[in-house]
Amino acid sequence: MAEATTTRQPLLTVTDLKQHFPIESGFILKRQIGAVRAVDGISFSVYPGETLGIVGESGCGKSTTIRSIAQLYKPTAGKVMFNGLDLVNASKDELLKARKDIQLIFQDPYASLNPRMTVRQIISEPLTIYSNRKMLQPEMTKEEIETRIEELMERVGLNKAFKNRYPHEFSGGQRQRIGIARALALNPKIILADEPVSALDVSIQSQILNLLNDLQKDLGLTYLFIAHDLAVIEYISTRVAVMYLGIIVELSESRDLYHNPLHPYTKALLSAAPIPDPAIERKRKRIILTGDVPSPIKEHKGCYFYERCPMRMEHCATNIPPLHQVSEGHEVACWLYE
Amino acid sequence: MKREQKAKATNEFNQVVMGNSLSKDAWRRLRKNKMAVISVVIVAIYMLLAITAPILPIYSYDEIVNEHQNLLPSLTKTSGELMWDKKLSDLYTQAWRQNRLTVTDAENEILEAWVLKGQATKVWDYLLEEGNRQLAEGSFEWSAAEKRTLDNLEKKIASDIQITIQKVWQTNQETGKKINISKMAVKDLVQLYADLLGVPTEPIVTQYTYEITESVSKEIQAEVTDLSKEEYALMAEQRLSDMSGKDYDKLIKANIIAKINSTVKDMALYELKSDASQASTTYPFDKEMSITDTVSASIKAAKMHDRRYYLGTDRLGRDLMSRIIYGSQVSIAIGLIGTFTSVLIGVILGSLAGYIGGKVDYFIMRVVDIMYGLPYMLLVIIAMAIFGRNILNLFFALAIISWLTISRMVRGQIMSLKNQEFIEAARSMGASTGRIIFKHLVPNSLSVIIVFSTLRIPSFIMTESFLSFLGLGVQAPFASWGSLVGDAVGGMTLYPWRLFFPAIVMTIFLFAMNFLGDGLRDAFDPQSKNQL
Repeated sequence: MAEATTTRQPLLTVTDLKQHFPIESGFILKRQIGAVRAVDGISFSVYPGETLGIVGESGCGKSTTIRSIAQLYKPTAGKVMFNGLDLVNASKDELLKARKDIQLIFQDPYASLNPRMTVRQIISEPLTIYSNRKMLQPEMTKEEIETRIEELMERVGLNKAFKNRYPHEFSGGQRQRIGIARALALNPKIILADEPVSALDVSIQSQILNLLNDLQKDLGLTYLFIAHDLAVIEYISTRVAVMYLGIIVELSESRDLYHNPLHPYTKALLSAAPIPDPAIERKRKRIILTGDVPSPIKEHKGCYFYERCPMRMEHCATNIPPLHQVSEGHEVACWLYE
Repeated sequence: MKREQKAKATNEFNQVVMGNSLSKDAWRRLRKNKMAVISVVIVAIYMLLAITAPILPIYSYDEIVNEHQNLLPSLTKTSGELMWDKKLSDLYTQAWRQNRLTVTDAENEILEAWVLKGQATKVWDYLLEEGNRQLAEGSFEWSAAEKRTLDNLEKKIASDIQITIQKVWQTNQETGKKINISKMAVKDLVQLYADLLGVPTEPIVTQYTYEITESVSKEIQAEVTDLSKEEYALMAEQRLSDMSGKDYDKLIKANIIAKINSTVKDMALYELKSDASQASTTYPFDKEMSITDTVSASIKAAKMHDRRYYLGTDRLGRDLMSRIIYGSQVSIAIGLIGTFTSVLIGVILGSLAGYIGGKVDYFIMRVVDIMYGLPYMLLVIIAMAIFGRNILNLFFALAIISWLTISRMVRGQIMSLKNQEFIEAARSMGASTGRIIFKHLVPNSLSVIIVFSTLRIPSFIMTESFLSFLGLGVQAPFASWGSLVGDAVGGMTLYPWRLFFPAIVMTIFLFAMNFLGDGLRDAFDPQSKNQL
């Protein structure tokens, strides 16, 4: 698999993406006194047909990354290359064209569907928007849109008889299916999934994950998949990026990461996940990190993990470790492996 | 909408699956709320009455009958009988004052006490009964003068007729064809009028030219103030010369037709008053009468004093009931149109401020803050003073000032909604700002907007009433609930019904509107319902 991905042309390349949210003070003449560095320079590529999982604790900038890539926020710096187009500096029309191929699935199935719209309206909305702008290839008539809605509903496992129903008449899992159907409506190339299963209960989680897997197989989709649940990421991802405080600390093949974590943070993160075997669980030595996650407002001069790292060295305090390839397809940002 | 209803979804058992929208849900809850349903019915009745006012069998709201001033509301008595009673009690009171009508000392004391307290109505009522009793017993007699007065009144009540000219025709003597005069050419009309009066056409032409010039300059005077006489004359001349021939002809026609109507009315009245016709006609009637050899008219006539005023009359003898009904037209229209405009402005500005944010938000909200700082009533009064006092300007003045609250409210709603994931979803799909605002944000704040508007209508009506009460609202002869109440306050003790009926009508409507608003709020937001 590793060989296959490296030789292929990446579908989405993110280069040094930064998303800082300014903190302003002053009454009328606003003055920037600092910034929340939600995403502080990350680079990665996503290859067609793969699933890149991003994992990390709450507040590490996973969701912001996805929203910056989708241009819901204007990135502070960096490049997002998609199909040879830089989304950050793209014109409105180019961006609209590109957005057709980039769709989002959201975390909260209750908040991500407009409660005043029927399922039909929700799923057909992207189609209507693009058909109103005459950007649908090929053009679709109203009847064709109607059949497409039914097709999508069956595809994601919803009864097409429910298309006149409203979101509040569905369960969480069904709502997430509606969200997936909406994301599929325009035949996108890549789907950015922002913790799509974290709000669902475990049995529904597996259903949704299987659905996403099936869709990937059938439609050749590429996923950028966010989760904070390590098991979910392990199950769905081909490659995994571990984020901490707005940067990627480790990027590797999924199996490789879970069996051979290199970065001290990754190790700590993996050791925090319980193992469903009491015998091993009892014997297992957990790495417990001290201190709190530093404020994202702080500007770092050294390693971002320096304050909490159990293996910190003098060198780490003043030098930021670059993402560095340790073995084939395994990159880590740590001075230990230099 | 239509297409969506057609595209029905059926399940595997071929049953139609219908969605249950939030608004449908709210409607279901509203129907369970008894007070709200009653309110809806009341509001519907009010609206129906206001809309159908022109075709309801009521008297005209601006028809002044001098003899019918301040008549009591009565379900059983005609206006003639009421006039008669009024005159009688008047005369009895005079007689009591002159000590011709004697009452016991105890009664005298009570009457004097009433007079001191200013309760004249009680004195009248009492003396009417007492006088009638004594007259029947024979212990009291009318003086000769009084008898004459009463005889005259009786005759007047019996003989006064009121006629309205509905259509006037001229019969062409050669062909025998009848032509409605409103369809005649100007020249023929002038000729017809001259023939009716028996004068040549020249003085008539001079007269109407003069009258039209006068009315035009009066119009100008109403529009612009503070000009000299010469300037007014100049402007009038200018306006007349700007007018096309067709428009000028229209003015002449209106002028002449009004004159013909009044002449025909006089002539018909003269004929009906003659003894011969008085004996033979029965009233009321609605028939065609020939006035001269060539002119005939469709005439509606009724005995003037057969009228019934169920809610009494006002100080000018106008029917209070029809004034209240026509007044509700104005009041409800102001409530609805004012609310509609203010909601429209408020929703658009509020949602733009809330969604776009930043400088736009800052600018709009500072405008709102500044306007909030100005006294609301003063602004309306200034606007009315600048733009002139008519109903349209009243709408305008109320609307430009009352969008503030709703724009703030909508802004708040939209700000809380715009970070919801479904808005992000819409943005990620490339939806335009307009689409996001009007398809996603506004529908989701609609419940708040509807509730607010419903509760806003009464406040508009109150404001209008207050302005009318101050004399800044609707101008006579138009009425609104506020102006009716305002007119009635002067004669509150003597003629309480003039105050009571408009006030009660208004109160019921405002109550209904408020209950409806509360009901809607409970329906849209079931958690907020204050229950035990």
